[in-house]
Amino acid sequence: MAGRDLGVTERAARVGPLLFVRLKLRLVAGNLRGNGVRVAGFVFTVIAALVVAGLGFLGVSALRFAPAQIAADVGIVLFTVFLVSWAIVPLLAFGLDDTLDPSRLALLPLRTGQLATGMFAASITGVWPISALVVMSGAVFGIATGLGGVLLGIVAVLLEFALCIVTSRLITTSMSGVMRTRRGRDVLAVSVVLFALAGQIPNLVLNGGFSTDPARTLHAMASVLRWTPPGLAAHAIADGGLVGLAELVVLAVLVLVIGRLWIAALNRALVTPDASTQGASVRNSRGLLARFLPDGQLAAVATKELKYARRDPRGRVLWFTSLAVTGVMAFSLSRGDGVGGPGLVVGPACLGAVMIALQSANSFGIDGRSLWMNAVTYGTGREWRIDLTGRHLAVATIGAPLLAVLAVAASLLAGDLALAVPGALTAWGVLGVGLGIGAVTSVLVPYSVPDRLNAFTGAVPGQGGIAFVASFGAMIGGGLLALPVALPVLLGATWVSVLAVPYGLLISWAGRRLAGNIGFRRYPELVGAVSQGG
Amino acid sequence: MTDSAEAVRTHQLFKRFGQQVAVGGVDLIVPRGSFAGLVGPNGAGKTTTLSMVTGLLRPDGGTIHIDGLDVWRDPVQVKARIGVLPEGLRLFERLSGRELLSYNGQLRGIPKAEVEHRAEELLRVMDLTESADKLVVDYSTGMRKKIGLAAALLHNPRVLFLDEPFEGVDPVSANTLTEVLRRYTHSGATVVFSSHVMDLVERLCDWVSVMSRGQIVAQGPLDQVRAGRSLNEAFLGLVGAGEHGHGTDGGEGLSWLGATSA
Repeated sequence: MAGRDLGVTERAARVGPLLFVRLKLRLVAGNLRGNGVRVAGFVFTVIAALVVAGLGFLGVSALRFAPAQIAADVGIVLFTVFLVSWAIVPLLAFGLDDTLDPSRLALLPLRTGQLATGMFAASITGVWPISALVVMSGAVFGIATGLGGVLLGIVAVLLEFALCIVTSRLITTSMSGVMRTRRGRDVLAVSVVLFALAGQIPNLVLNGGFSTDPARTLHAMASVLRWTPPGLAAHAIADGGLVGLAELVVLAVLVLVIGRLWIAALNRALVTPDASTQGASVRNSRGLLARFLPDGQLAAVATKELKYARRDPRGRVLWFTSLAVTGVMAFSLSRGDGVGGPGLVVGPACLGAVMIALQSANSFGIDGRSLWMNAVTYGTGREWRIDLTGRHLAVATIGAPLLAVLAVAASLLAGDLALAVPGALTAWGVLGVGLGIGAVTSVLVPYSVPDRLNAFTGAVPGQGGIAFVASFGAMIGGGLLALPVALPVLLGATWVSVLAVPYGLLISWAGRRLAGNIGFRRYPELVGAVSQGG
Repeated sequence: MTDSAEAVRTHQLFKRFGQQVAVGGVDLIVPRGSFAGLVGPNGAGKTTTLSMVTGLLRPDGGTIHIDGLDVWRDPVQVKARIGVLPEGLRLFERLSGRELLSYNGQLRGIPKAEVEHRAEELLRVMDLTESADKLVVDYSTGMRKKIGLAAALLHNPRVLFLDEPFEGVDPVSANTLTEVLRRYTHSGATVVFSSHVMDLVERLCDWVSVMSRGQIVAQGPLDQVRAGRSLNEAFLGLVGAGEHGHGTDGGEGLSWLGATSA
């Protein structure tokens, strides 16, 4: 009796990786239980992953029909892209999910090795990792040229998969200490945008003119990347001989080394205390907007929103992302041939307006769990409408001048400064339309924006589908409603831009009016929807 | 309408989440001017009840009246009369304490000068003046409860609802909170707070409602509910603790616990 008891308490528990897999599946299932919308979102994700897996697999396999050299080059670049995105995306898009945050598992009697294999298994469990594995295994068919290539290919794909996972785990684990401090999270959240921007650099370079021969550019890129670990894996498949075998050995050693590093990082993360942040005081400024607005609810909401855009990392991320994406797109567009005249200015300006307006497709998301404070105050639809007006006012205060600057910059690039006027007017109109639609999606399909670092999906686990519906609906609805003013201007009837601002104001007013009433009728559900997770 | 002697009255309040009945026909009564405690074990439905009473959660059935006004039919009147401190300290994290108070006051349409005056006094009473310009995200639990209470009191509500106001609060802050609440009820206002700290409820409250498994199992003046025992004993008897266990001496269960010292 006593002996058995001792065995349980003193030895590390005999826990296999399967337990972690089950834990992860439980977490996923628990998130879905009793919520039809979440189930729909999950089904959507599964379908999307299946489609990506199927098409990706076929696409990569189709490299077979390309010349061997090109197939190998594409494989090398593709494997590198896989590794880089796998390392970064979980950090940016999903934060640290519950199964994988080592600090939550610190008290379990597990050896670090067990913990590592368990977390490795949990990392593989998921629709996207499996989907990625399927796509990568397409390389075995696409790149290999003989039996040796196929055999090495299977090993290479598995090693690449393992490499992706241990690298991504190593990064998230070493970051987890930083992520547990408020300031660390804030800084990391904002730096996410830099990653996103960095991803655009090759794109800009390719657009920059020396893409005369795509095959040569590809080859130049591949000949460098070939010596990186994922490059080794892809090259080994193409080689299929002794060189390939040697490359795989190197890769296997590398996976083991990174794995060891990860275990070391895990060991450290388990005993590192939460660093607390000594809060600094904020300036108690009235704010510019407050001086012009009459004292009351509108001023309160608008100034609070402006403070949040500045102080909340999520607010900063949203604004930086909007700006960065707009900048990159505007730059790319201005390099393109074929589009000419007003389109060169109005196009980027409207795009910027859409990006800014999209932030408001889930206006209450950032308030999240604090929204009750407004909800216990508002007793009419009118008050919800004023609340939305305050939010829109804050967005317009930052957005309208930015759009004007964008229009001027685009018109300078296009070489016709006069185009800045229709450009800015149309963009303001589109912003108004976007805000109006966003007000309606904010109350119809609200979702929570997690406190934790998150840049792209911007929804807590299980609400990704809703977030997608909200931003997609806002984009399509906004696009359709903006057409009457944007299209004529784009096609050259620049005088129509005079109507854009009144039209935008009208749509945004109508949107707020509708949303105010809907919001008031279903505010308990609204507060509930934005208070999930976090 | 507003001459009702009861600050809060619910009738057959009902709420279910999926299969789970969280609140199953609750008739909560709180007389005006009382300092009322809503006690019950975890999962008894206290938070759900308070959320419905304060208009933050839609009930599946039943009615709620505050000062004789229907919470869901007459939201404008009701919302002006109540102050709320919900569970979980959900506050606007990126505002400073002072900004949080002035935001709250302005939302309620109180003139700015008056808001600033009241906020300053509340911050002083709550001993938060030094941290007034720090972001709420950097506040400790006690500070957050205090700033939350200050925000709930700012518009001078007639009825104040507090969900676990003393949970995780240090003794010094707890003392400040109770002093403020005592002063507030002496002015004729009503406080309803949920707690499972029986000593505190016994010390502060003159009215107690005991909840268990989504029902009110006892309700009335403190002395009537405890009936000569300590509130803790009365409570354990009411919620049926010990019925399922094997007595207080451990009995057959947990025999392995502490059996082997190595």
